[in-house]
Amino acid sequence: MIGLIANESMKIYSRRLTWILLLLLLGITIGASVLGNVNSARAADWRTETEQLVRQYEDRLRIAELSPTLRADAENKLKIANYRLANDVPAPDPDPWTALLSFSGLIETVIVFAIIVGADIVAGEYTAGTMKLLLIRPHSRAAILFSKYIAVLLFAAAMLALLLLCGYAANVLFYGWGDLRATDLFLNGQGQVVQSTVSMQVLKMYGLSLFPIAAYVTFAFAVSTILRSGALAIGISLLIMIVGNSMIEATAKIEGLKYLPFANSDMSLYIFHLPARPEMTLNFSIAVLSAYIAALLLLSWIVFQQRDVSF
Amino acid sequence: MNHMPVVRFERAAKKVGKRTIVHDLSFDIAAGEVFGFLGPNGAGKTTTVRMMVGLIKISRGDIFIKGHSITKSFKQAIRHVGAIVENPDLYNYLTGYQNLKHYARMVPGVTSDRIEEIAETVGLTGRLHDKTKTYSLGMRQRLGIAQALLHRPSLLILDEPTNGLDPAGIHELRGYLKRLAREEDVAVFVSSHLLSEMESMCDRAGVLQNGKLIRIEKVNDLVRGGDKKLVCLTLDPAQAQQARNLMTASNYEVRSEERPGELRIPLRPDEIPAVSQMLMQAGIRIYGIQMREPSLEDKFLEWTEEKK
Repeated sequence: MIGLIANESMKIYSRRLTWILLLLLLGITIGASVLGNVNSARAADWRTETEQLVRQYEDRLRIAELSPTLRADAENKLKIANYRLANDVPAPDPDPWTALLSFSGLIETVIVFAIIVGADIVAGEYTAGTMKLLLIRPHSRAAILFSKYIAVLLFAAAMLALLLLCGYAANVLFYGWGDLRATDLFLNGQGQVVQSTVSMQVLKMYGLSLFPIAAYVTFAFAVSTILRSGALAIGISLLIMIVGNSMIEATAKIEGLKYLPFANSDMSLYIFHLPARPEMTLNFSIAVLSAYIAALLLLSWIVFQQRDVSF
Repeated sequence: MNHMPVVRFERAAKKVGKRTIVHDLSFDIAAGEVFGFLGPNGAGKTTTVRMMVGLIKISRGDIFIKGHSITKSFKQAIRHVGAIVENPDLYNYLTGYQNLKHYARMVPGVTSDRIEEIAETVGLTGRLHDKTKTYSLGMRQRLGIAQALLHRPSLLILDEPTNGLDPAGIHELRGYLKRLAREEDVAVFVSSHLLSEMESMCDRAGVLQNGKLIRIEKVNDLVRGGDKKLVCLTLDPAQAQQARNLMTASNYEVRSEERPGELRIPLRPDEIPAVSQMLMQAGIRIYGIQMREPSLEDKFLEWTEEKK
């Protein structure tokens, strides 16, 4: 199995497309860091600044037709701002860790790039005709299929690590090394204000993102295995991703939607205490995503196992 | 000598829906034998090859490789097989060496020395570290054969191996396959629709038509069988039509002319004097009479005509 995974990884990293994706990711990460630095201004007097913010959030909460997510966001921020004023806890100066926490959106880039690679890894072999020579070796079809799957997951994890490392390195240039033990105020699962280590929150957010990344990769992989078309697999997966993001709002209104993967696919919602529905927890989301991953893998395996390779 | 056949077909058949693509095939291939699998396009050759290597399921019957069923103990059976199925499809974005390394990792015991050795055997050493997208068709064929032989299989399956090879390449392949069979006791299964090439390459051949094995014989017997020989008459081109009319009037079968003034007629040797006398009496000038050994190609046409 190790040899098979080594083979699949060799194939991934020998392709020019892979390196274009990695360079793009590098560029986007650095770009996001520079933009983040331009937009962050250090406050002269944190107290007046925070009081201003409190008024701003209160104004926003007075808007009647505010969407549930925006309302929850404003409530959370207000709660933290009030806590700062009451307990004399200023917001920490920006450092690489707070910066990393702010560009959680880049995880979506990793998802898109992983979809591109995952959509091709099985379909590409059919298109090139190499599947025939791959399957006439003393390995079960299951081993061949899952070595490909694992190689894609490893690639996605490598991209996530690259994002973290480059994001950190770029921000070190602006803010210095940062403090690994620096804390800030967060809301816990019950909505209470707590002090947490920023670096730990960063690692938690990126680490947990492996679940939604795996879910999307598995989806693209399954479509690619079943339909044998890489282009179709990329197209359908990206469509699902776009539709999925707009489903988070809908889930707040319709309870049944919480069992679909969409509202469970953004782990930063739990870091910032913004679940789509109040009863949804981190463990619930992980369970839902894992169930979908298992079902899609089972389906891919059955189709791959049964198929006559006749072209 | 090991008497167990390397390959045994036991009434192997393939059905897709209601249509039977390959009908109950039963035959053995021994170690050290080069076996030709002949048939026109669409006869079911590739389907048979794909059943042998487990790419498609066998609907009925089974195929055994060194005693292991390809359906029930796939891993033990396929371990002894090296194959090119249709085109030598390679990973174009990898080098020749990486392609071989890739397949070497999939079978235990293939060292990097073995990769170098096989590359030298097929004559690719100089270009081994170039990307395969820069390879010519001939070089791709060689690399295809290299990956098939990497793990020293007992059975080598080549599906239409001469496609895209130049005459020198075909000659080389023929020599190489024979050596492999004689010296390393490998059973070689070659499918092709190009009969002339099989004739000099194979020891024994099976002829497949519409999914049925219509004949299986030693290549020499296949070619020499029958009492009629093909006789080639060379005469004045201006008189060819007259001669043709005369012959068909006497119920002889005249095949189409390859060159003007050249008639090909299947005849028993004892019919030749009567035919030549008849033509000479009609005033036809004969420049030559030649008896030709029928090629496998001629034979093939004959059999497929018979079947219709």
